[in-house]
Amino acid sequence: MSFKWKRLGENSLFLFPSIILTAVLGIYPLFWMLRYMFYDYAGYGEALFVGLDNFRRLMRDGLFWESVGNTFMFAGGKLLLTLPLSLLLAVILNGKLRGGSLLRGIYFMPTVISTAVISVVFYTIFNSYNGMVNTLLVKLHLISQPVDWLGPKHAMLTVILVAVWGAVGNYMLLFLAGLQSIPQDLYESASIDGANAGRRFLHITLPMLAPVAQMVMMLAIIASLKGYESIMVITEGGPIGKTEVMYLYLYKLLFPVSTGSPVAQQLGYGSAVGFASAAIVGAITGLYFFLSRKMNKVY
Amino acid sequence: MRKKWLGLGLSFMLAAGIAGCGGNDNNGTSDATNGKSDGGTATPASEKSQPVQLKYWTDDRHDQEYIKELINKFNETNGDNIQVELTVMSENYTQSVDIAFSSNQAPDVLRLKSANTSEFVKKGYLAPIDGYLTDDMKKKFGSLLIDNVNRFDGKVYSLANTGLTMRLVYNKDLFAKAGIEKPPVSLQEMVDDAKKITEVGKSEGIYGFALNFKNPKQAFDRSIREILSLSGYQGLGFDMKTGQFDFAPYSQVIKYFKQMHKDGSILPGAETLDIDPLRAQFAAGKIGMYLSFSTEPGVYKDQFPTEINWAGALAPTLDGQIKGTSEIVSAGTWLGISAKSAHQEAAWKFMQYMYGDDVLKTYHEKGFGIAIVPSIVEQAKNPDTNGMEGFLVGDHDSLWPAAPSVTPEGSNYADAFFKYMISDGDLKTITADLNARYNAALSKAVEKGEFTVTPNPAFDPSKPQGE
Amino acid sequence: MNEQALPQQPGIREKNRARPDSGRAGRVVGRTLMWLFLLATAILTLFPLMMTISGSLKTGAEMMTGGSLLPAKPQFANYTEAWKQANFARYTWNSVFVSIMVTAGTLLVASMAAYVVDRRDFPGKSLYVTVQASMMFISVGAIVLRPQFDLMVMLHLNTTLWGVILILISAHSSTFFMLQGFFKAIPRELDEAAMVDGSGFIRTFFRIILPLLIPGLGVAGLFAFRHAWNEYILPLVFTMTNPQLQTLTVGLANLRYGSSAAMQIHLMMAGACLSILPMLLAYIVANKTFIQVTAGSVKG
Repeated sequence: MSFKWKRLGENSLFLFPSIILTAVLGIYPLFWMLRYMFYDYAGYGEALFVGLDNFRRLMRDGLFWESVGNTFMFAGGKLLLTLPLSLLLAVILNGKLRGGSLLRGIYFMPTVISTAVISVVFYTIFNSYNGMVNTLLVKLHLISQPVDWLGPKHAMLTVILVAVWGAVGNYMLLFLAGLQSIPQDLYESASIDGANAGRRFLHITLPMLAPVAQMVMMLAIIASLKGYESIMVITEGGPIGKTEVMYLYLYKLLFPVSTGSPVAQQLGYGSAVGFASAAIVGAITGLYFFLSRKMNKVY
Repeated sequence: MRKKWLGLGLSFMLAAGIAGCGGNDNNGTSDATNGKSDGGTATPASEKSQPVQLKYWTDDRHDQEYIKELINKFNETNGDNIQVELTVMSENYTQSVDIAFSSNQAPDVLRLKSANTSEFVKKGYLAPIDGYLTDDMKKKFGSLLIDNVNRFDGKVYSLANTGLTMRLVYNKDLFAKAGIEKPPVSLQEMVDDAKKITEVGKSEGIYGFALNFKNPKQAFDRSIREILSLSGYQGLGFDMKTGQFDFAPYSQVIKYFKQMHKDGSILPGAETLDIDPLRAQFAAGKIGMYLSFSTEPGVYKDQFPTEINWAGALAPTLDGQIKGTSEIVSAGTWLGISAKSAHQEAAWKFMQYMYGDDVLKTYHEKGFGIAIVPSIVEQAKNPDTNGMEGFLVGDHDSLWPAAPSVTPEGSNYADAFFKYMISDGDLKTITADLNARYNAALSKAVEKGEFTVTPNPAFDPSKPQGE
Repeated sequence: MNEQALPQQPGIREKNRARPDSGRAGRVVGRTLMWLFLLATAILTLFPLMMTISGSLKTGAEMMTGGSLLPAKPQFANYTEAWKQANFARYTWNSVFVSIMVTAGTLLVASMAAYVVDRRDFPGKSLYVTVQASMMFISVGAIVLRPQFDLMVMLHLNTTLWGVILILISAHSSTFFMLQGFFKAIPRELDEAAMVDGSGFIRTFFRIILPLLIPGLGVAGLFAFRHAWNEYILPLVFTMTNPQLQTLTVGLANLRYGSSAAMQIHLMMAGACLSILPMLLAYIVANKTFIQVTAGSVKG
């Protein structure tokens, strides 16, 4: 056997498990979806080719577009709270204060806990009739009447708060890593030049953090658009669809959750919804990528 | 080093698995893994022959101790060396059955409910049992063979055992405290009573009304369904006379629900309430009334022992007049045999055992369900569970023909009406939209040949099964 | 606040002090505010966890009526009850089994691939890397579960937990990139020296390189383990026909509906503690690693 062939054989051997797993369990399902989005298929019996019918239905499916709107609201709310909060924490912890590493450890802790499990806990503590959150707020005299945290008015806020709880520590740490890679002598020379704290933050910290921040934002955007586990456990998308995000809507088309009577699986239409959701997330990621590149040029 | 071998083994497994794709040992593999994962009760290997293993799936949880007892007895006493293994499924029963049938893990015997039977027959999951029925059984169950409930295209798939009646469940103490003498008979009275109870009790966190609105369909299918059928309309929005969906009567009921919400008479947080937390709150005396099935007495006996005085009463009607009959639901079906079972004969033997007089009688007497088989009704004593007396079958209860179950585009009727109930919208538009979508889905399903619909212009809601 | 954020190197501090604008009082107020904020955030972060622990020690009735922060009398029996009656022993075993297998499998598959990609050139290499990278970004949601399930039915793996395990291993792209970074740190000369000594490619990898990679494997393994342990939707769907195979997350979330008709929140809380505990212990032990790696992922 020639040297070249031997090398090729070794390469193939080492890559084989990865390639076969990725191809069969990662890529094949995508093609499956691309095929069935043109079919009417209930998961049993014959699949019926229907051309673009599923996409026509998608266009007039008010529930889906509502869920897209909810996804943006959920993602937007989560990002607006998470990013500033985690940046602030990172900036504070970057100054080496006493107990800093303990605090850092506490803030990061939610990321090791299962979303589904802690969501079960959140579901019970946000209950309006016997939840701990209301009990405490009433005792502290912050509210007089129990707040209906999971009701139509506040449910979105509640699931956002839960998401923020789980995410802040993670992004704090990423920001912290970015901050620590900023060379200290930059600050020193700035101080010598007489720049005050605010100016130093604006002119050194922020621009130096920009590359890391861009990546962190990107991760945060994708994660917040994709997440639906905790919503599924806490509200199942309710009440009256107020917290239905698009990936949860998709999940329910495939596995109708806790309904009294059977609802047929809608695999064909589900494929179309899956494709559309991926396209929406893709478009936003792409747009963000494009904009952040432009920003880079401005700098 | 150990890790290395573990990992290597794993990748070999994968390779072997993929190669085994077109392999020949299909059944062998699946059986072996099955046996391992089941971990059921070990049975002494009989020297004569291998025991016949049957899987029985149910989503009933309230009767599981009794059913376990029955199965153990059957396993010990049957002369055919049949071993039944019980699996109690959770909330996802229908999906689990779907997945099982699409993956060769189907159970041999299934618990059937009127809500899922037609779907299962449609998908070809069930085997007809006509061939097994003895003359005695035909006589015993004959009056309860109903088209589209347990008989489809002339073939019988299941037999009746019990049904569930639905009632208004109310807290007598709270009614008395608010100065109300008797449970409401019209929806307007229900709205007024809920308001009175809330006025008296709100400072202590007591409210007049609640339902498990976390899943609006489950909430309405245990309340509005009954209100409608007693008022003379089919309870799921189907019009027996025209063979079409018509949600106009439904929309009349919803108006009163909306009024209760507007009055603030509904327990705050009910939008996200599951049925069990609701029961816990009712047992704690925080809820004036709600509507539910005849499973409630058993639940308050076993799971939520309560000191409050409560009772069940007939549901209120649209105008206080009883023009129909209260529908007995989940009746007409109990057990069925899988079409894919390799042991249908054995499955039938188990079924025959379960449908024996003694079993059915005890089932009723223990309060797990209300017997509807005439010969059982005659001999069985009434259960002595507290509160059961309000749920027993009376003059105003009857079985209804099945309404077709369809999956419309967009939201179902319960979600749409619930949205109207707690926020806003134009009721006429919502109703028209629901009618359009449900009837479109209906005609599509009929076109596909999933079922047939025959309008019955002579349908009489006070005698839904005819004479 | 920004002021506090400054790296407090001695030199800078001196300079700050020299500046007259901010008074000492302002400094104290700023510090107090900062600490209030930090402590409030810490309490809010720990709150759900404390509620879980206190809830797990309450009686069912206490939990149902709500009201008290702490249990009147701690009910440690909740744990034994959850363990035995609510089937948590079985769920825990399933979770442990899945997580260990997934961790081992992911590490093996990803490290072999990462090694070849890092050390060698071959046709299609950039395609392979691109595909792995895009696997992290494309997200079509739950729809993939159906074809994956059909595949497992074909392979007869749907009645065991191996289906779940293989699917979790197949999502190994992030481990792959993480390990690739670690390989870069191992000098190529080492491989070459080993090869010259007559050690073959495979032998070199398993005998020489992998042992050097152990810290990296530990880190990546921790992450893979966390992912598998916390996974919810995949095992939920795959164990619907087989309640015996449910993992902790699935069994626990199903308790919301009540395993024996009644909802037993106190047992649910005990179960939640049982499921959180192992990861929490791992976190306390390997806190530094978690933090360094998460931080490291943006530096690359």
